[in-house]
Amino acid sequence: MLLDRQGSGRRWRIRPDGPGKVTGGLAYLTDMAAPGMLIGLVLRSPHPHALILDIRTENAKRVPGVRAVLTHEDVPGLNAFGIARQDQPVFCFDRVRYVGDAVAAVAADTLEAAERALSLIEVDYAEQPVLDSPEKALAEGAPLLHPCGNELHRTDYRLGDPEQWFKACTVIVEETYVTPRQMHTYMETEGGLFVPEPDGRLTVYSPTQHGFMDRLQLSRVLGRPQSDIRVVSSPIGGSFGGKDELNVQPYGALLALAAGKPVKIHNSRKESVRAGLKRHPMVISMKTGADAEGRILAHRVKIVADTGPYATLGAEVLNFATEHVIGPYRIPNVDVDSVSVYTNNGMSGEFRGFGGNQAIFALEGQIDRIAGRLGIDPWELRRRNMRQPDDPGPLGQPIAPTEGAAQVWQALAESPLWRERSQGVPEDDREREHWIKTGIGAAYIMHGAGLGVGIPDPAGGRLVLAEDGKIEAVFGYEEFGQGLIATLELMMMETFGFEAEDVRIVIGDTDVVPDSGSSTASRATSMLWKSVQNMKGPFTESLLSAAADLTGNPADQLRLGPGGVYAMPEPDAASGNDAGSMLLSYAELASRTTEPIRAETAFHFPTTSSKRIGAHFLYTYSAVAAKVEVDTLTGRVRLLDQYHAVAAGPVMNPQGYLGQIEGGSSMALGWTLTEEALMAGGRYLTNNLDTYLIPTVAEHAGNVAVRPIEELPEGDAYGPRGIGEIGSVGLAPAIAAAVRDAVGVWVRKLPIDPRELQDIPHFARKAVLQHDR
Amino acid sequence: MIDNRTELAPAQSRLTLRVNGAACEIAAPPSTRLLQVIREFIGLTGTKRSCEIGRCGACMVLVDGEPVNACLAMAYQVQGAEITTIEGIASGTELHPVQRAFLEEGGFQCGYCTPGMVLSVKALLDRSPDPSDEEVEEALSGNLCRCTGYGGIRRAVRRAIELGR
Repeated sequence: MLLDRQGSGRRWRIRPDGPGKVTGGLAYLTDMAAPGMLIGLVLRSPHPHALILDIRTENAKRVPGVRAVLTHEDVPGLNAFGIARQDQPVFCFDRVRYVGDAVAAVAADTLEAAERALSLIEVDYAEQPVLDSPEKALAEGAPLLHPCGNELHRTDYRLGDPEQWFKACTVIVEETYVTPRQMHTYMETEGGLFVPEPDGRLTVYSPTQHGFMDRLQLSRVLGRPQSDIRVVSSPIGGSFGGKDELNVQPYGALLALAAGKPVKIHNSRKESVRAGLKRHPMVISMKTGADAEGRILAHRVKIVADTGPYATLGAEVLNFATEHVIGPYRIPNVDVDSVSVYTNNGMSGEFRGFGGNQAIFALEGQIDRIAGRLGIDPWELRRRNMRQPDDPGPLGQPIAPTEGAAQVWQALAESPLWRERSQGVPEDDREREHWIKTGIGAAYIMHGAGLGVGIPDPAGGRLVLAEDGKIEAVFGYEEFGQGLIATLELMMMETFGFEAEDVRIVIGDTDVVPDSGSSTASRATSMLWKSVQNMKGPFTESLLSAAADLTGNPADQLRLGPGGVYAMPEPDAASGNDAGSMLLSYAELASRTTEPIRAETAFHFPTTSSKRIGAHFLYTYSAVAAKVEVDTLTGRVRLLDQYHAVAAGPVMNPQGYLGQIEGGSSMALGWTLTEEALMAGGRYLTNNLDTYLIPTVAEHAGNVAVRPIEELPEGDAYGPRGIGEIGSVGLAPAIAAAVRDAVGVWVRKLPIDPRELQDIPHFARKAVLQHDR
Repeated sequence: MIDNRTELAPAQSRLTLRVNGAACEIAAPPSTRLLQVIREFIGLTGTKRSCEIGRCGACMVLVDGEPVNACLAMAYQVQGAEITTIEGIASGTELHPVQRAFLEEGGFQCGYCTPGMVLSVKALLDRSPDPSDEEVEEALSGNLCRCTGYGGIRRAVRRAIELGR
């Protein structure tokens, strides 16, 4: 059944954070202000690569209203940050490696004073050769951007003997796929408020996907214990991975402590583009061979990723891409070589899909090309190579078995959109102008969740009956729009029988929440579910036993319900008064009980037993079909219709699930057709949303059908799988296949260049020929 | 209200306008952007700052009923005008039908584009209560949403049209 509001019944609920969002009443962290606050600004490098010879701040410090001017000399702790590897300077001191590098920061009473001071900071640079591509960075004699060289990370995977088996192939497809630098384009740019407290602590109000990671990183930079720092991190105006790493936090924190006053920073869009993370541009070369029946025998892959100047999670993204170029297929001979390269381009880093997008675009392109060469239906070819439930994962690692691969394959095969393709062009399409061509394509995906082997991936949470009688669900996750609060509320209602008013969700504040791990990698909903399952028994028991003490009823005659604790109905009265009667409200229970009522859980995201770093254990499966229209005069592609089958276990929150697939696919649409943060010589050419084009409502005219497949194998202990990223990875290859179906052109580079799809009209072709002669 | 700029304003630059029905007199230089006037001088933060070049619509407000990007209007251009921000369209605790439609259909995720989006829809439906899909696309093309893929937004607009019937 397709997912929609009508079919979801009472599970389609108004989000708890909705009223504040539709009325404008919800204050985002960048909306906050404090009496006497200063405005903070960061001075960033004008050069993609240069040595710093001297920095002079005297004139800036003399500007009236300026309260602090900071450089590398003013960092009390570690002058570096990075989630995985701390190689990004807070303030550069000897060299700048990209145009977003920070050299100094200013806090002043007014924006005008801060801008004036920033303009008076003098920095002497000696420009260096700009390594604006991985090729240049890897060339012999290239300047080394880091002591370890210009390779951030290199990895590989080998199975069998591809060289030998290519000789046995009937068809071999070789292609190089190129993917763009995509910007997250969260509508709220980076920023926040940084408040030195009277007791000497620092409060950071700034969006992030993992408050405790920010606290740890800031503690290193500030040289203060983590307990001296409080990070308030939700609500967030979009993130998509882009606010996972520190951005303005070190500057806000240092300025606030130096000036002894609250400091607000809110990046302009231009500064956000310049300094912020992007999706890794990748060049993926593949050679894939199959026998005459379409069975893939050998697969060789080379991945080159442009990671920009610093690490953040570039190595982890490369590991993910390496795992996902193999896909949901049984391929007996595999050879993958991957490298992530430091350059003087913009920062690349974590972004929804996490390297899977690029890998799957390339892999699915190969599958379609093989099918085309052999004259086999592309979906049938996938069936012939499909993994089986008990097969190991792409890297040979044991994974949680599900029927997901077969389920989504079958769902797509039966979808109206795919049937339309096999039935040929429908009537209404034939009536279009003859230069408008339509086509349908599909893609087949498995996508890992969690951080993978070798990376700490804690989870957990706490349930408490608060003094005022509210049931508090306390988790260290973040709300950046995905609907985590709404999902948790519904989970609490359905698990315990509470009503919404009984529950208070507490997240996003390191002073009060436990470390539940990051809200990344499609993991938060899975971990919420597991946490609530773990706490269900103990928390119910402690509520009921306290109620038993107060009411005198035996605990096994009591149950939880809306508003309070109820007596179990008499067995023979079950038909009449099913609800029983409420004996004690939660407020009464809280005020009268003497024992604290709470439950806690802490565990680790499930991982495979393999030692392979980054290998995943839980996967979501998806099959995506897309119908497009290509105008062969302009070369423009329009998306007309989409179908997504998603096997991710039970739907925890129908509105959130639908929103994740629709929203994820919109990002994929932009990546496929229009989005590219263009750079030349290490400088951005696209600086704002006038030239960086994300989809508008007009590009989303078509239908989006989402079919969740909820069934899991009996005894599966892992519950709902992640859906935060899966919607963003399959659409690009499906569109590429649809374009091929429409106009016969194989797309290998994104965003699709309309010129490649323009059909030169007959008369113009003739003119060109004459001219050439 | 956090006002970091008042002291810079020459005494003679008094901006008078009505915001959500209330008369305001503000000491703002004539070139101050309406976005700053609303967020920083008046302290209404439902009007969001995002691209600041009039592309994304996060700062959309109604100026005498017409949708305008507040980042592109200057104080002198709204002298005497009636400004409606997202905070001004509900009647007391009763949400505007467009707000209700967005709530019920889930026409938002992070919510940062929502105030501007809701105001653009309101302006459209005030002008044309039963718009075609093309009119809806035209009216909302200046409002970018990165979270929803516009599915929930389209459903909310349809619902708002129904509620208005």
